[in-house]
Amino acid sequence: MRKSHPVRRVVLATAATVSGVVLLLSLKPASDPAAASAAGAAPPVSAAGQESPQGGARAGSGTVTGDAEQTQYGAVQVRLTVSAGKITKAEAVQAPKGGLSDQKTQLAVPRLNQAAVAAQSARIDTVSGATYTSDGYKKSLQSALDKMKPAASGSAGSASGSSGSASGPAGSAQARTVTGQAAQTQYGPVQVRITVSAGKITKAEAVQAPKGGLSDQKTQLAIPKLNQAAVAAGSADIDAVSGATYTSTGYRQSLQSALDQAGG
Amino acid sequence: MTTTLAGGRAARRQTMRRIRPRRSPAVPLLLAVWAGAVAVLWLWWHNTPSIADDTGRILNAGRITGLLAGYLMALVVLQMARVPALERRVGSDRVARWHAMSGRYTLSLIVAHVFLTMWGYARQAGKSLGDIVQQTIDSVEQLPDMGKAAIGTGLFVVIGLSSIGGIRRRLPYDAWYHVHLLTYAAVFLTFWHQITTGNDFAVEPAAKTFWYGLYGAVTALVVWYRVLTPIRLNVRHRMRVEAVVEETPGIVSVLIGGRKLHRMGAEAGQFFRWRFLAPGMRFSSHPYSLSAAPRPGMLRITVKAIGDHSTRLRELTPGTRVWAEGPYGALTAQRRSRGKVLLVAGGVGITPMRALFETLPGAAGDITLLYRANTTQDLALWDELSAIAEERGARLMYAVNSPEGERPDISAENLQRKVPDIDRHDVFMCGPPGFAQSVYEALRGAGVPARRIHHESFEM
Repeated sequence: MRKSHPVRRVVLATAATVSGVVLLLSLKPASDPAAASAAGAAPPVSAAGQESPQGGARAGSGTVTGDAEQTQYGAVQVRLTVSAGKITKAEAVQAPKGGLSDQKTQLAVPRLNQAAVAAQSARIDTVSGATYTSDGYKKSLQSALDKMKPAASGSAGSASGSSGSASGPAGSAQARTVTGQAAQTQYGPVQVRITVSAGKITKAEAVQAPKGGLSDQKTQLAIPKLNQAAVAAGSADIDAVSGATYTSTGYRQSLQSALDQAGG
Repeated sequence: MTTTLAGGRAARRQTMRRIRPRRSPAVPLLLAVWAGAVAVLWLWWHNTPSIADDTGRILNAGRITGLLAGYLMALVVLQMARVPALERRVGSDRVARWHAMSGRYTLSLIVAHVFLTMWGYARQAGKSLGDIVQQTIDSVEQLPDMGKAAIGTGLFVVIGLSSIGGIRRRLPYDAWYHVHLLTYAAVFLTFWHQITTGNDFAVEPAAKTFWYGLYGAVTALVVWYRVLTPIRLNVRHRMRVEAVVEETPGIVSVLIGGRKLHRMGAEAGQFFRWRFLAPGMRFSSHPYSLSAAPRPGMLRITVKAIGDHSTRLRELTPGTRVWAEGPYGALTAQRRSRGKVLLVAGGVGITPMRALFETLPGAAGDITLLYRANTTQDLALWDELSAIAEERGARLMYAVNSPEGERPDISAENLQRKVPDIDRHDVFMCGPPGFAQSVYEALRGAGVPARRIHHESFEM
């Protein structure tokens, strides 16, 4: 039965909580130090931000866009990147948005994209919790596959042609930079530029990334990590940064296109 | 002389063999709670590589407060789940104080979480602090499960307001209690936005599993101990009012009969929450201590008429069905660590002391009861106490006001004079808060260590 001091307790609890939270917040660096050092002296994103995207040429691949399929929550439309008759990339150019849909899209579309590339057909599993989106996706994917047959030969031709041109200074160990296509995400385009030396990625950087509001934070969070991961993996097979799924997905797409161009 | 001494020792050993002090699990439980809080903070730390600017700091402060509030909310409910380890080992009174304290703290965290998060979002959208209301409305409309969360938060605020001292005292107990039951709805409503909009749960499946596990476990405990256990108890024992006896003016005993009542596991010093299925009484349950050790066919409570409910008890008719939940309370023989025991009762606080006085194991002279009341007429159960004292060779003392109304002086010196070896006693105490506080201080002054003063106090 120690004497209770309600006021003292309230003051103590408040002070302890506030100082604890402030301490935790102040211990966090302004930018991710690990990623920054690994990416080397990567120039700030804004410095290269105005570089024109090389999107026009569609070097190394052809794309086929399926029909937009209406679902209860919005349209789903799939675009495939085809190389030598194979699906090398699948992406959703339209997907349900707003409220809960954002989240379901975020959850389902990357998985569906992956499944489409793996299956090379529209026979892919429905993502649980996103049935409508999955169904729409599969239909749009099928329509893209249907369109692919006539388009495939042409794109395959162009693929070989451009890959030849991209590897112009063939065999040279000289470092060169390749800029991938800008990948559209819900929050803005992501575009990756890589520096390749002796067939290896020595540097990866984002020349475009989502900006404004929450996006600034997510970009700041995700891009250094993604740069680091790209260098480490040497491929577009890198993990999404948690909390920045859209940016990560866009990054991977653009990185893949840069790698396609680099002939790697 | 030697034989007496040897006999005394043998008897003492006999007694000590029956004293098995059990430590309260409060310390390990509190450590577990802190460890959980650290884990929750680690989750945030792990998922946050950097914070860019002040907006980021505000939003992250919102996340930290939200995560902690979500964690504590589960514990606040758990504290009222009537888990035996808490009710019987830590003590219902202490757990109720924890509940009140952590409830207030959690509500403060919720308010801070809402404010910080909405302020951060407003700043992110380039708006000022003044637009926080509009930002909140937008977020509730657009983000998943936020409508539910907003209703739940509103309920929390109402529940919090109804529990503020001044307001609670003005509310009828039943009204306050039923408002408080809305906590379950509020927790349910606010749970979902944590999972769907919480960054840490969206990206960390393990965290989501942990959160579901935490809330699932608390739900299971609440259903088991607040719903199923009481149903089983009452179906098995089928209690009814046998008789109502007036002990002294204003104090009545209610005798309750039923089947196999000795199998309820109730110990002297414990209480049940009683609900009498009589008109006007069936919707509220009240905690009353057993005033006698449970017997196979009979339980007894002794109650002083201070509130609506306790006043109505005298009008109970024999045969009234009784719905009881319990036994609860940790003021039992398990707290004892010494051979000698001093019981201190203030007014109607005699009820658990009376039961302990009868049942605490001990040789002649080991047990002493000090009974404080306003007048000798207010010494309820005095005849029984005298009989027990006679039979066991226990000491019975009382302290009442002088005829002029002067209060007796229960000071350290007086206690030491009356009970010379008081510092070698365990003290069990039950009485009104002011009385308990002053006796506690006197006992400490007389050299009784705090860990051997056992009391139950239901004032928060």
